[in-house]
Amino acid sequence: MAIRVNPSFIDVLDRYGAEDVQLCYQCGDCSTVCPHADEVHKFPRKSMRQMQMGLEARIETTLEPWLCYYCGQCSEQCPRDADPGETMMSLRRWLISRYDVTGLAKHFFKSKTKELLWVGLIALLTGAFLVLYGVSNGNFGVYDGEGAFLPSDFIHSFDLTVGGIMGAFLLLHALRMWYFTMIKGVEYPVPWWLYFKEILEFPIHFFTQKRYAECDDKHREKVHMPWLVHLGLALGYVTMLILVMVFIVPLQSGPEIKWSVHIFGYLASIGLLVGTVYFIRNRFKKAYIQYKKSHSTDWIFVILLFFIVISGILQHIFHRTGLTEWANATYVIHLMVVVPWLLRMPFTKWAHIVYRPLAMYFAAIKKSAYERQQGRIDSLSVTIR
Amino acid sequence: MRTGVYFCQVDDQSQTDIDAIAKYSANLPEVETVQNLGLRPDISAENLSEHLKTNLLDRVVIAGDMPGYFKPVFTKAMALSGGDLDEIRLASFREHGIQNGNSLDRAKAIVACAAYGVPFSLAAVPGGNPVNHATLVIGAGIAGIQASLEIANAGKQVYLVEQSGTIGGHMAMFDKTFPTLDCAACILTPKMVDVGQHDMINLMTRSKVVAVRGKPGAYKVKIRQKARRVDIKSCVACGECVNPCPVNVDSEFDAGISKRKAIYIPFPQAVPNAYLVDEAHCRYVLTNGEKCGVCLRKCPKDCIHLDEEDSTIDIEVGNIVLATGYDLLDASKIDQYGYGKYPNVLTSLEFERLTNASGSTGGRIVTKVRKYNKKKKQDEWVFSPEGLPPRNVAIIHCVGSRSSKYNAYCSRVCCMYSLKFAHLLKEKIPKVNVYEFYIDMRAFGKGYEEFAERIRQEGTFVIRGHSADVSMKGDRMIVRGEDIFNDKLVEFNVDMVILAVGLIPAPGTEELSRMLGVQKDTDGWFSELDYNGNPTDTDKGGIYVAGMCQAPKDIPDTVAQASAVAAGVLKSHTSGQGIGSMSSLTLSDIEGKAKIIHTL
Repeated sequence: MAIRVNPSFIDVLDRYGAEDVQLCYQCGDCSTVCPHADEVHKFPRKSMRQMQMGLEARIETTLEPWLCYYCGQCSEQCPRDADPGETMMSLRRWLISRYDVTGLAKHFFKSKTKELLWVGLIALLTGAFLVLYGVSNGNFGVYDGEGAFLPSDFIHSFDLTVGGIMGAFLLLHALRMWYFTMIKGVEYPVPWWLYFKEILEFPIHFFTQKRYAECDDKHREKVHMPWLVHLGLALGYVTMLILVMVFIVPLQSGPEIKWSVHIFGYLASIGLLVGTVYFIRNRFKKAYIQYKKSHSTDWIFVILLFFIVISGILQHIFHRTGLTEWANATYVIHLMVVVPWLLRMPFTKWAHIVYRPLAMYFAAIKKSAYERQQGRIDSLSVTIR
Repeated sequence: MRTGVYFCQVDDQSQTDIDAIAKYSANLPEVETVQNLGLRPDISAENLSEHLKTNLLDRVVIAGDMPGYFKPVFTKAMALSGGDLDEIRLASFREHGIQNGNSLDRAKAIVACAAYGVPFSLAAVPGGNPVNHATLVIGAGIAGIQASLEIANAGKQVYLVEQSGTIGGHMAMFDKTFPTLDCAACILTPKMVDVGQHDMINLMTRSKVVAVRGKPGAYKVKIRQKARRVDIKSCVACGECVNPCPVNVDSEFDAGISKRKAIYIPFPQAVPNAYLVDEAHCRYVLTNGEKCGVCLRKCPKDCIHLDEEDSTIDIEVGNIVLATGYDLLDASKIDQYGYGKYPNVLTSLEFERLTNASGSTGGRIVTKVRKYNKKKKQDEWVFSPEGLPPRNVAIIHCVGSRSSKYNAYCSRVCCMYSLKFAHLLKEKIPKVNVYEFYIDMRAFGKGYEEFAERIRQEGTFVIRGHSADVSMKGDRMIVRGEDIFNDKLVEFNVDMVILAVGLIPAPGTEELSRMLGVQKDTDGWFSELDYNGNPTDTDKGGIYVAGMCQAPKDIPDTVAQASAVAAGVLKSHTSGQGIGSMSSLTLSDIEGKAKIIHTL
């Protein structure tokens, strides 16, 4: 099958952060040291080659970028300073923009002004809407119950609306990813029942991120800290999302603390706070090789999350200490950051929370199919002999 | 002749001050117009020919770092305006060794010569100093030996200075040469014997140049000679002194894979063929004669003088030939290959000694065996004749070469000697599997490609892909890599790994460069005057480079360059013009000479 070549593909990827792809001279050191490269998915060298050749259509259908957790060993080893780790990261950014149907992701990755403007606009709209709603239906001095500024049942339906929009886009993008990688990107037949056989892969990778733990460079430390913190951050985020979407009414009631619900909120907050502080600090100090280069979207990602956590915690404290006006004000600010953040999610890096375990799941299916195919070829050659 | 000068640069990193040169060239006679077209200009031949016509130009000078790049468009413009195509002159800065904005005057001189229509090499002839006919050659490897013999055979005096105890250099350590698989010693030892016996060659081993004064044609050189402590004339190399010597040291000549005594001869064919005492390890010397001294009692000829002292020699020479050679990069710096950690990971030079018939195993290729060292009271891994031959061997190319972390350059010889190793392994161990991990196969010389093909035919697994990882699983060594052409990640159990380690300039290069005032390039090798046109001379008059010390090269190239150096030295003796430094020529010198040639 002929593949269309895009000779300026490298220049396109330059905007996504892959600056040194053309330096690669194909020695294969990176694939050798990569803890995740295997018989079916050989990367990063192969991806580098495909990029150099401009095989845009081929890269679009690959899972490899998602299988990489960016431990940076390849970049450390690279004799040409071609930075394969950062290149895989850039490919992930590019893939997010490819899965996206709206074209928003492309703008976000290419221009931080556009992204900041978009975030600001959504934040202002949200703020204006919430304040207008609050003033028309309630009292700024009341936090909960009768005449509340932002009543919890209203917030519940508001959350569900925003979450629904986000979920719909995410689902659409995941479907596109499935179409690209599992329909366009397989050369051998994939039987449908493999989807059921390997279904456990998705929750396993989602909740443990065990491949990230395998990234550990054994010479350095006992526990791979980036993995631990990343896991805490992701699980904290998911817990918080469930709390906000489903249990917002008991969560918002008060002022007494409902431990059955709030304990989860506290744990999630700790995970999120530690995670964001850790990642911001590492990006500043460039502590690990994977934090040496930071794309503007990486910064916006961690800093917005940090604001969300801080404003959420403040709002909680103000509410419990009886400072109702302050609580309402921080709540509005909190939501002004949360809403653009949630709406932004399917178009930016945070979408990898879904893409990555999905890719592990697909990769397991592909590997089973590949082995099945190899077995068939082997038995065929035996009969011929 | 109405002349127009056009400046066009190609390299945006070059720091040449174009404006200053342009200002200077505007004042040259007959120059009508000077145009600075800038960096990689997009010139149209039509506009250019209009410009030529309006200025009524007969001659065009294209000046810049690589003016040839723009010659086609100027030729077209000249043809359109009906001018003489022979009157397009190039003033190339890069060709005459101008880099990083050094020597502005020379750049001006190049433009001036082009404007006068005189070749730069005709006008810029350094000279004038009368030449002493004695020559100093520093380094007695194959390059130094070849240059010395060529000069001495022409009847001129040569002082050959060598730092170690014997001449021969690295080539004496080799078993076979590629691609002909000739025995290296069979080529080298006759030349070494010639050097040792030549009337016109004054050989100084264990010597070092410590100071150089004077000017081209008359250098005063101070040489410090370490005491050999054995009389060369009376020593018959009987070897009686060796056995009783209580000291054991790693042998330099055997690349550290075997031991030698403190009194030793580097190898049986050494020239001068006499023993020497390593004063850094000799117990007698270290204790100022209080202990030991057993060799003195054993020597039947009484030729050992352990109290001999170092001496200093002053000589006067006209020319100096640098042939200081190379060294291997320290492979233990590159930790992923486990050199120094795993016993059977060898450097190329160690394998070369292992496979050499004069090596410690008598030429048998074996893996190391564990032996108990009584003195250190611990096990250590050594080569010994009772070791087992390896069944699987991996050879890894480009170790430390072509890498941004170590050497950016290609060491040029590694591909070929690695292929040679594969052949030697296959020849000596019939059932061995050899895996060659390479990035790009550089078989560039005469017969090299055929040699590479022959090795492939012999059944060596030549794998396109660089291995980045050697590790141990239990007591088995594992090499992992990517076989790019077969699209597979591979993992082999091997018994031995040979690293094709990159080459670096010899340790004394830095010191010599400072002492002689010879430029070095960014990689540390000596700079030649002009890579294409004058690869043997240096910026300093009467100083030449031969062999590896200029850049990595194989034996044929080294020998060719050494002979070319000899021609340069002999030319300075007979031309009658004397010699001088290119760097000492002033702008007015060159301009004046160009003017004279121009009017002729």
